[in-house]
Amino acid sequence: MAGMKNIWVFADKKDAILELCAGGRTLGDKVTALVIAPRTDAEQVIAGGADQVYWLGDKQDGKLIEDYFAAIFDLIQTQKPDVVLLGTTKRCKLMAGRLAARLGTSALMDVMEFSATDNGLQAKRMVYGGAAVRTESSAADLTIATVGPGVFEKLPEDSGRQGTIEDVAAAAGSAITCVEKRPKVGESVNLAAAKRVVAVGRGIANKEDLKMIEELAGLLGAEIGCSRPLAEGVDWLPRERYIGVSGVMFKPDLYIGIGISGQIQHMVGCNQAKTIVAINKDKAAPIFQQADYGIVGDLYKAIPALIEVLKK
Amino acid sequence: MKIVACYKIVPEEQDLIIRPDRTLNWERAEWKIGQYDLCAVEAGMQLSETNGGSLTALSAGTKQLENSKLKKGILSRGPQDLFIIADDALDNADAFQTASTLAAAVNKIGDVDLVLCGEGSSDLYTQQVGVQLGELLGYPVINAVSKITVQDGKLLVERTLEDEVEVLQIPLPAVISVTTDINLPRIPSMKEILAAGKKPVTQWGLADLDLAGKGSATKIDSTLAPEQADRKRILFEGDSEEVIQKLYENLRKEL
Repeated sequence: MAGMKNIWVFADKKDAILELCAGGRTLGDKVTALVIAPRTDAEQVIAGGADQVYWLGDKQDGKLIEDYFAAIFDLIQTQKPDVVLLGTTKRCKLMAGRLAARLGTSALMDVMEFSATDNGLQAKRMVYGGAAVRTESSAADLTIATVGPGVFEKLPEDSGRQGTIEDVAAAAGSAITCVEKRPKVGESVNLAAAKRVVAVGRGIANKEDLKMIEELAGLLGAEIGCSRPLAEGVDWLPRERYIGVSGVMFKPDLYIGIGISGQIQHMVGCNQAKTIVAINKDKAAPIFQQADYGIVGDLYKAIPALIEVLKK
Repeated sequence: MKIVACYKIVPEEQDLIIRPDRTLNWERAEWKIGQYDLCAVEAGMQLSETNGGSLTALSAGTKQLENSKLKKGILSRGPQDLFIIADDALDNADAFQTASTLAAAVNKIGDVDLVLCGEGSSDLYTQQVGVQLGELLGYPVINAVSKITVQDGKLLVERTLEDEVEVLQIPLPAVISVTTDINLPRIPSMKEILAAGKKPVTQWGLADLDLAGKGSATKIDSTLAPEQADRKRILFEGDSEEVIQKLYENLRKEL
């Protein structure tokens, strides 16, 4: 690939590091991972595709990943990789932005797809809430990019893979002190990994009616997603379930849109689904233009009927 | 405490027209204040009301920022004054260029204790300007903040991450990006809208700021509406059991 030699990867979750290692292999000659985790993780990252690991040690008690910023910045300054790929968690976005600011550049965010050109890496991302895809590249010597879950698939673990683990004595610290940590209340949602998704929109009249949707999703083994009004207007579902903004790559085998009109922003979010089913009482709803199968009917009759069929 | 809340103006996405060649036509679009930024302004208002101090609004962008409706729109939500850097050279500015411009403006305003940003702009949503701004100013910076209180001259914030909540103590001056869960922005009254027209607005151009070499490093190659996949578009009318049975049989073949 044109000029891309050293690809570095960093993420605060191991699965994300492994996906980025696999991606790094497709983009460059050498993959180096930065790992702040138990040493066994560093070994696993080698088995997952990295040629080299800078092991910054296991995370020190009471410290945040953010406290390793200076150590990571110093490594980048001295080793000069061509590309740094990061995950898309809040922590990674903070890290990417701070690194970019210090280096006088911008990070390419929420990349859905890379392609190589003579001028370096080109990246695609959604803009305008999903209404468009922007293709952009960085003019800086170092390209920093955050890449969402599912863009790259992790490699099968190969314990025979050779790689070096280099210990880096990293001082961790910052002006910010962590006083307390607690698990987040509520479920975590991973739409990116879902094979089947049932999405609901404003056609649902009451919050209680979501029970029927939960039953359907349960029978199908599907995750529940929603359009923007349900997450941001009425707050019936958490924002993590909202399809069409965050850059999560979302490519299920089956997507069922229920009571969703099919605004472009939402439809871009599910464009990659293998099969799209729409249930809406309005025959003119734009979602039918982009569905493989459509039911023009009352969802309050169609969904219970579908639940009965699935139970058989 | 002297607080600055940053905002971006964005085109109304409902007004977007997609041309047959998939390029975007914004010519008829109204401009509005980014919805996520209103939470930053509201957070600034609540902090200044609880702890004393002042709230200033700040934005950098194209000449569209001079629109008096937009200026009143932001000032009617509480800030005592407004600073805008309106320059068409900021059209398509990337996060670094925008953050550099805002950082220079914050330094020129002077003695700022806290800068608040929304979690992302509602057009491009890179979630980077606040983060870069903090780093460029050399202040502690944190994103995803869902609650802010002041304690002994420091901030105590809750940060809501993907699977955990952190309580962090942050010394001032600092830059914070807030989530949309932090508050419900107030709706300005007619009185506040009228009063907004009388509040002071300072306008600077890029030449008024110290910005040597702070351009955009991101090259935009294209912005196109996505290609639609070919779909079967098989429609069933009605919601009877027979219809659903037919749908199910079709789906079973696919899955």
